[in-house]
Amino acid sequence: MNKIPIILDGDPGHDDAIAWVLANASTSLDIRACTSVCGNQTIEKTSYNAMRVMKLINLDVPFAIGRRKPLLSDPIIAPNVHGESGLDGPVLPEPTITPEPIDAVELMAKKLQESAEPITLVPTGPLTNVGALLLLYPELKQKIARISLMGGGINYGNWTPAAEFNILVDPEAADIVFNSGVPITMAGLDVTEKALIFPEDFERIRALNNPVATVVAEWLDFFYQFHRAKGYDGAPLHDAVAVTALIRPEILTMKDYYVQVETAGDYCRGMTIADRFGVLQQPANATVILDIDRQAFVDLIVEAISFYGAVAE
Amino acid sequence: MSQIPVILDCDTGVDDAIAIMLLNKLPQFKLLALTSVVGNVELEKTTNNALRVLELIGADVPVYRGAAKPIFREAVRAVYVHGENGLGGIELPQTRSAVPGINAWDYIYQEAVKWQGELEIIAVGPLTNLGLAFIKYKRLPELIKRIVIMGGSASIGNITPAAEFNIYVDPEAADIVFCSGVPVYLCSLDMTMKAYLTAEEIAQVGALGSKPAKFFQDVSQGALNFYNMLGLPGMSLHDPATVLYANDPSNFEAHHVGIRVETKGPLSAGRTVTDLYSDAQWEKNAYIITDIDRKKFFENVLELMSKY
Repeated sequence: MNKIPIILDGDPGHDDAIAWVLANASTSLDIRACTSVCGNQTIEKTSYNAMRVMKLINLDVPFAIGRRKPLLSDPIIAPNVHGESGLDGPVLPEPTITPEPIDAVELMAKKLQESAEPITLVPTGPLTNVGALLLLYPELKQKIARISLMGGGINYGNWTPAAEFNILVDPEAADIVFNSGVPITMAGLDVTEKALIFPEDFERIRALNNPVATVVAEWLDFFYQFHRAKGYDGAPLHDAVAVTALIRPEILTMKDYYVQVETAGDYCRGMTIADRFGVLQQPANATVILDIDRQAFVDLIVEAISFYGAVAE
Repeated sequence: MSQIPVILDCDTGVDDAIAIMLLNKLPQFKLLALTSVVGNVELEKTTNNALRVLELIGADVPVYRGAAKPIFREAVRAVYVHGENGLGGIELPQTRSAVPGINAWDYIYQEAVKWQGELEIIAVGPLTNLGLAFIKYKRLPELIKRIVIMGGSASIGNITPAAEFNIYVDPEAADIVFCSGVPVYLCSLDMTMKAYLTAEEIAQVGALGSKPAKFFQDVSQGALNFYNMLGLPGMSLHDPATVLYANDPSNFEAHHVGIRVETKGPLSAGRTVTDLYSDAQWEKNAYIITDIDRKKFFENVLELMSKY
């Protein structure tokens, strides 16, 4: 079977990190590069975290650092969710990789240019890098097979009542992405808040007792604190759903919609609006994930993490 | 039992017409008047339609003319649901006129003063009249017991992907109402889209045989076609469901929420933004009604229409 070539673009971030753990363990994905973006924390911190995660999971591919801020607005960070480091919890190995001397967007462009077949982008942070890529290299659109992103929600937000964090941080970039014509798979809050991993699942992971499993279990311990205080039964692994869409789509329920991004307004900036009754009579531009088989999802995560034990042996 | 004094503020309208017929048969309420507003169709039509429906059902209730345009915006109509005349093309005789010389918002204030805090408002059109009333009369919020509104949504829109029609037409007025301090109960699309009647059920009402029952069936046909074209199982009775919620909330699901109206977003203007599901929480200023027992709803509609 041909592997799906992908580029991982994120702002690790606990759930980004677990998404990367999942992607790296999959035999059906071929990771061509990783890039960082500012989001959950500053670009310095997310980049450092990205490199530490790559070291932890022995992911040896080119890495480049994204820009300092969203396309137009100032950064928003989420230390209340991910901690001061952006990836609080367990001690992580120091990075050994050296970032590429080029920017994240340039690395994406280079990888797309070099590739014989189109590449799927997996952005799990704000869409700043992907938006900039589409703006600066429009000719590379046809080299992008799909954008499988975590962001938005067609019913409600989290950071504001109307907007989900990733889209809120850079709505203009998101607008470019949704208007690009590139096929989009959207893992928004509609599904990601159902992609819960419960405390008893943490223990299944911890019991795998390999170096990655131990770290992931401790990430979850930390990440769940914020969500438990909000009344969640578990930790929503938002970003891992964007990877799941590529490797195990059969456990997801999806529907095609025309989705637009609101970039202005007193309350709705960063809202993703789906035209569910077709009142705008526009063709669908996004496959929106609406539901997930939670147990199958957790099993997939556990299975992926057990892969790191086999490697260690 | 003393009756609850109520004013129905409406842009009659197919489902407004049905709401009027139901409200007229609810003994709990003393229906003081209808106030008309621009909305589904122009003000002259919504005013005359209200008068005609009242005449049809023999209800001796006055109509006060309200706003001819939204506070800041130009009017938007919904003739694709309600037809050019607002009543799905059905022509009813009219011999009555609206009360001359007094605006809806002044009338609402007069009644509020008279009833000393007992007055309730059921508003099933754009909220322009109430918005203007709150702008004009500072004391008004403490004089109104509650406002039950058909409008908005915690999920889908209808006139745009983000916004429901009544709120979209006059979002500034809606925000004024939600922030007035008066207890607000918002019967949202989340609930009213579930309050539908199928073609068979509408025919069952018509088969009751009275003039109002036959009108119910006839006036619904155009709107029924519209909903069927959208692939929906029946015609949503947004305004009647709102009236029945005001009468008895027990077959409904309501949530206490923070709610504001977006007035600036180019794609989201008229969106009722609620904190119902989000991590971010606001000060609670309204109840949003999101679900209904449809079977009981139809039984209630049928029973009330059988009283004609």
